[in-house]
Amino acid sequence: MSSVTQIAPTPVAPVVTRPRARKRLRKAGWNALGLLVLVVMVFPVYWMVATAFKPGHDILSYTPQWFPAHPTLSNFTDAVHQPFFWDAVKNSLIVVSVVVALSLALAFLAALALAKFNFYGRKGFIVIILGVQMVPLAALIIPLYILMSRLGQVDKLSGVIVMYLTFVLPFAVWTLRGFLLGVPKELEESAMVDGATRFGAFVRILLPLVGPGLVATSIFAFIQAWNEFIIAYVFLHTPEKQTLMVWLASFTTLRGTDWGPLMAGATLCALPVIVFFLLVQRRIAFGLTAGAVKG
Amino acid sequence: MAELEFIHVNKTYGGDTPAVRDLNLQVEEGEFVVLVGPSGCGKTTALRMVAGLEEISSGEIRIGDRVVNELAPRDRDIAMVFQNYALYPHKSVYDNLAFGLRMRKVPKEEQRKRVEEIAHKLGLADMLERRPAQLSGGQRQRVAMGRAIVREPKAFLMDEPLSNLDAKLRVQMRAEIARIQKALHVTTLYVTHDQVEAMTMGDRVAVMRDGILQQVDTPQHLYDAPANLFVASFVGSPPMNIFEAAVDADGTRLVFGETQLDVPGRVLREYAGRRVAVGIRPEEVREASSWDGARVRGSVLLVEALGAEQLVHIEVAATPLERADLVDAAAQPPGPSLGVEDLERSVTLLGRFDRHLLLTPGEAVEVAIDPRLLHFFDLETGLALPTVDAPLVAGVAG
Repeated sequence: MSSVTQIAPTPVAPVVTRPRARKRLRKAGWNALGLLVLVVMVFPVYWMVATAFKPGHDILSYTPQWFPAHPTLSNFTDAVHQPFFWDAVKNSLIVVSVVVALSLALAFLAALALAKFNFYGRKGFIVIILGVQMVPLAALIIPLYILMSRLGQVDKLSGVIVMYLTFVLPFAVWTLRGFLLGVPKELEESAMVDGATRFGAFVRILLPLVGPGLVATSIFAFIQAWNEFIIAYVFLHTPEKQTLMVWLASFTTLRGTDWGPLMAGATLCALPVIVFFLLVQRRIAFGLTAGAVKG
Repeated sequence: MAELEFIHVNKTYGGDTPAVRDLNLQVEEGEFVVLVGPSGCGKTTALRMVAGLEEISSGEIRIGDRVVNELAPRDRDIAMVFQNYALYPHKSVYDNLAFGLRMRKVPKEEQRKRVEEIAHKLGLADMLERRPAQLSGGQRQRVAMGRAIVREPKAFLMDEPLSNLDAKLRVQMRAEIARIQKALHVTTLYVTHDQVEAMTMGDRVAVMRDGILQQVDTPQHLYDAPANLFVASFVGSPPMNIFEAAVDADGTRLVFGETQLDVPGRVLREYAGRRVAVGIRPEEVREASSWDGARVRGSVLLVEALGAEQLVHIEVAATPLERADLVDAAAQPPGPSLGVEDLERSVTLLGRFDRHLLLTPGEAVEVAIDPRLLHFFDLETGLALPTVDAPLVAGVAG
């Protein structure tokens, strides 16, 4: 009797467990791969922050120092006291805030026209908006430089702002158009029948519904304008007029690179973007789904 | 005095064929009028012109005693229920209901009172704090209704409000809307493509086709006396049987296939020696055994059991209507069976029979037709001829 009960389960057990074990193994494999990707992506950021807190001899030692064993803030004080730091902060803030404000206002109106009104050449316009985003920026730098210098806009913040707008706007218009198309026209019509003016329906119904789209677009514009390097580097010569990203390059001189203050400066430069993102990320997570699902 | 009136209203988009042509229609105070027709017939355009969401090309629309052609939607004192409800997704049910009142600067206290009263009436009292996304289809529908009611407007406009609901809920809401409309006694213009909805809900039904108003009448009269072939084929489910027949030289006898029908009275005198379109409702096609009218022979194609009754497709010898443009194509039954040699000369007659009658496909049957119940139409214009009102002459040969 006992032999029967012992023998019976044995042929069954492996049949059930083997695929399950394989499944678990495969899952573990994918998880490991995911972790690896995470490490690859996060490590440079970690290394930047860690280096910023290390004293000079730890940074240059041949055996990598994985953690800042003797943390110091001297790199930060060095970076902040570097010439033109505060000029660069001011310039970056001006450029970013003007680019974000202008791109939101212009892109929203353009997207409104593209999404809600019928006019001659609308389809062509949409195709062009997509098309211009495919031209590599590097190919445009020289012709743009010539154009802007003729207009007297080289070495001026206004010139850089216009340049940034040219590549922030197409994306912003495209994104906002998608959000606006997601709002059925009956909502505005219903508001108008309910007693709102056309402008009232726009403010009370349309604007709140595309709010997440505006947030997403502003984040994009902020990141683009804050992080941009090539255009700023080419167009802004005088040190008082440079933005933070160009200022960071000043740590590399003919005599070598001053790694500690550079990493401290880079960490400081990354902070505003992270803070801005943390402030609005709850809205954008909502916004990304609201654009996709009807009503 | 009409509460809502179209006077020679036209609507043209970009110079092509007009969407609405010379529409004249009056909706009396407190009346429920249904605009019905196949898609693209201009009914929604007509409704949107009343709301002010669509400009009028020419003509006049009056609400109450005012011409509203130039008025903005918000100044017309109407409420509209949209097909997709158009609830404001970022506002709670309460705010959705109160939106119109807030726009009209009704005092806060009054707003609260009215919204709560309506919510209670519509069974929405427990869900005032919810967002539209958290409601079921039926509840959204009720919020949309509530938003229209709470304003106490001069007229309700409804654009296919039930078409997004499933079949059961639709029947339920149909009755509910009709009940609410009766209770509030508000002038209502309701648009649908579903003739059952039109027939069950409307005090009067206006049938439209290709931008032209075909007939306006009570549902019963529309059913009994359709003005033309289109209305005849569109109204009624299952639809009216329509085929062609010849009128003999005297104008007293109708000939189709092997069948000869004596038509009493003088209706067909003018058509002596010509052809007419003949229509008969499925419920007037009767089993021959229990009735002694004119006989028509045919064979059973298909039997559809509906529970209480059965729908029988019978193939009879007759000429199908050639002018398909005069009827509602969507409502016509499928053509006669394949393999019949003379396809041209056979027609599928739909009959509504008692469920106890045992019929099987392929079987030969004889049905009885009362000539008094036949509808006649001109083949050129599609217009209805007067029906026979003379008493039945018994024992007409088949």
